[in-house]
Amino acid sequence: MSLRVGFAGVLAVCLPLSAAFAQSTDNAELLKRLEEQEQKLKILERKIELQDEAAKAATSGAATVRASPSRFSLQSADGANVARIRGVLHFDGRRFSDDVTPATADTWLLRRVRPTIEGTVNNIYDYRFTPDFAGGRTIILDAFAVARLKPWAAITAGKFKVPVGLERIQSAADIRFIERAFPTSLVPNRDLGVQLGGDFKGGVINYNVGYFNGVSDGTSSDNNTNPDVDNDTHGDWAARVFFQPFLNSESFVLRGLQFGVGATYVDSTGSTTTTLLPSYRTPGQQTFFSFRPTTAAAGTTPASNGTFADGERLRITPQFYYSYANYSLLGEYVDLKQDVTRVVGTTSRSDSLSNSAWQLQFAWFITGEEETFKGFTPGSTFNVGKPGWGAFELVGRYHVLEVDEDAFVGGAASFANPANSAVKASAWGVGVNWYLNQNVKLSLNYDQTEFDGGAVSGTTVVDRDDEQAIFTRVGISF
Amino acid sequence: MSSNKWLRRIAPVALAAVLAGSTLAHAAQVTLLNVSYDPTRELYADYNAAFAKYWKAKTGDDVKVNQSHGGSGKQARSVIDGLPADVVTLALAGDVDAVATQGKLLPLNWETRLPNNSAPYTSTIVFLVRKGNPKNIKDWGDIVKPGIAVITPNPKTSGGARWNYLAGWAWALKQPGGNEASAKEYTRKLFKNVPVLDTGARGSTTTFVQRGIGDVLLAWENEALLAIKELGPDKVEIVVPSISILAEPSVAVVDKVVLRRGTREVAQAYLQYLYSKEGQEIAAKNYYRPRDAEIAAKYDAQYPKLNLVTIQDFGGWAKVQKLHFGDGGVFDQIYAP
Repeated sequence: MSLRVGFAGVLAVCLPLSAAFAQSTDNAELLKRLEEQEQKLKILERKIELQDEAAKAATSGAATVRASPSRFSLQSADGANVARIRGVLHFDGRRFSDDVTPATADTWLLRRVRPTIEGTVNNIYDYRFTPDFAGGRTIILDAFAVARLKPWAAITAGKFKVPVGLERIQSAADIRFIERAFPTSLVPNRDLGVQLGGDFKGGVINYNVGYFNGVSDGTSSDNNTNPDVDNDTHGDWAARVFFQPFLNSESFVLRGLQFGVGATYVDSTGSTTTTLLPSYRTPGQQTFFSFRPTTAAAGTTPASNGTFADGERLRITPQFYYSYANYSLLGEYVDLKQDVTRVVGTTSRSDSLSNSAWQLQFAWFITGEEETFKGFTPGSTFNVGKPGWGAFELVGRYHVLEVDEDAFVGGAASFANPANSAVKASAWGVGVNWYLNQNVKLSLNYDQTEFDGGAVSGTTVVDRDDEQAIFTRVGISF
Repeated sequence: MSSNKWLRRIAPVALAAVLAGSTLAHAAQVTLLNVSYDPTRELYADYNAAFAKYWKAKTGDDVKVNQSHGGSGKQARSVIDGLPADVVTLALAGDVDAVATQGKLLPLNWETRLPNNSAPYTSTIVFLVRKGNPKNIKDWGDIVKPGIAVITPNPKTSGGARWNYLAGWAWALKQPGGNEASAKEYTRKLFKNVPVLDTGARGSTTTFVQRGIGDVLLAWENEALLAIKELGPDKVEIVVPSISILAEPSVAVVDKVVLRRGTREVAQAYLQYLYSKEGQEIAAKNYYRPRDAEIAAKYDAQYPKLNLVTIQDFGGWAKVQKLHFGDGGVFDQIYAP
């Protein structure tokens, strides 16, 4: 009996306790699971929050359509394929304050009307197509493709700037004067060819070497008798190497120093109808030198007495660019050796002429912006009624072009006529550029050019009168 | 008068007028952009006000400092990509090095231009846990146990995260039999326990403190002390691990930007003032460890005592960045989202 009571008593105590313990354990387990689920939920919410933040940030950087002061573009989400629309519009004014330039030279003109379509395919292949509608004609200015295989190996093929002249290489939107200086008159402009180039050491060394159809000094292949068709039997080799040795220097005074040398070479022969020889023009675009052309002598048909290229043409151009803060200095020298021939009657004369040109150009952003060779960021923009005046830049230059005096030797048999071709032109110019924003630039230049020779008084060769030219430009580029 | 004669007379006058009119008066207000890492918002809010007052008294000019904050690596990339920072105040020298080498925006010898290798204050890494430390986290070994949720930012974007990573690595190397392989395995386990990777240290603090996620936050010491101050010591507490790392956030003037903006003088003064008594006091009040011995002694009691390794023990940031955090580095090898 007592055993049964005792057993019942133990049961009476233990059963409730065990039930309470089991319930407590279940509760603790439930609570733990609840907390785990709560944590998982919080983690999911936080991940969604972070994804939303990242998507917002990514959306602003990966717009498929982008319009900004520097470009209008369509871009794939991964950025590997891009198409950009750009353009340059230059509306110029030329006024001459000298008494020798004809009044008809005073003019407004559309100097450049160049829409550009360019882009990248597959992150490696670039292309550009630029027509030019200025001057009442349509030409293909640029049409090329580039395969950027390595930083040091980019292959370019098509029609593009021959990489030789420093100011020529500078884009039309970036040049500091309205018209480029004399050295550009001695180097090629655009031509058809193939080129290998690239950078070493992150841009410390840049090189280009190419083989082109070949063009006369200062011209493009669209100036050929048959535009963009090779007009001689040999192509031009062109090469350039350019250094920025202090690109990574600790001294910012030295970082902006860049220098190099470019060259072209061809051995080619022209004819009296396709001379392969240039004319040289003043900053005001008035011709001050040309070789004697073919003329029809009375009673003789056809005449055959014009000067033509006959042999080697070698151009060498050392060049430099230096910028520091808001100042820059650009300098280049071109030495050109050109073999020529002229047949007068039964006499043939040949010679190797050495022409040269050089310039020093100074630029100063008085509003404090940084001078660079390429590109520009204004510190403020000009908007009527709002603060900010944009950027102001003062520019100055001195440039000279000198023709070999041997070009004028020989009297009537000379290669060039001293009565209408100057042996030397020396010019100084000043100007101001007003950058209203990154895209709009107003320019005012004054260029004065003095000549040695180039005119005649009676039978005496005298110096041609100075050219005094005032240029204005409204430029839009994007 | 003929138009040509008129032009001859007016042109030089016009040019002279432009020259005269284009001279601008010296600006009385200067603005700077300080691109900083994530947790320094409060520090630079206080510091910028103090510097503006100092600069006004010294020069009479007003200076306004705009701030940008984010993960240190991400901020460095933004500056390289064109964000016009007059100064950078980043979480580690390696990120400033990237601005110098990849962005070419300041010289490679930038560290030598200010005292203490351009690190005006330091910090370190501690654990922040829930009040009462319910998961009994005492040291680095505890946070890789199953079931422990660790909050740390992404080392790819956050400087603080890289300090966290290296501190854990240092602990793993010092364990019996510790070597590179065991440290790598340790780090793999650590990041397996990370449920959310924020881009910056402040984001991780938000995740842990505001969102209530995780059991332990690997935090900048200053962030942890700030969290306790703002949340209250009844919510979270600091656990001091057996070993940590001396974190040296670095500061530098961005030469290319100040050259263009003409702000070099004020930018240099802005960073130099961090080393002044007032600058050091502000750092200490925001829980950074000041370099000035007098200020450090004054605030010594607020900092836990730690056994610290340095980045030099790892061979420097160039080596660490390439080995651990570069593309294909150790972190890429051990971490899969």
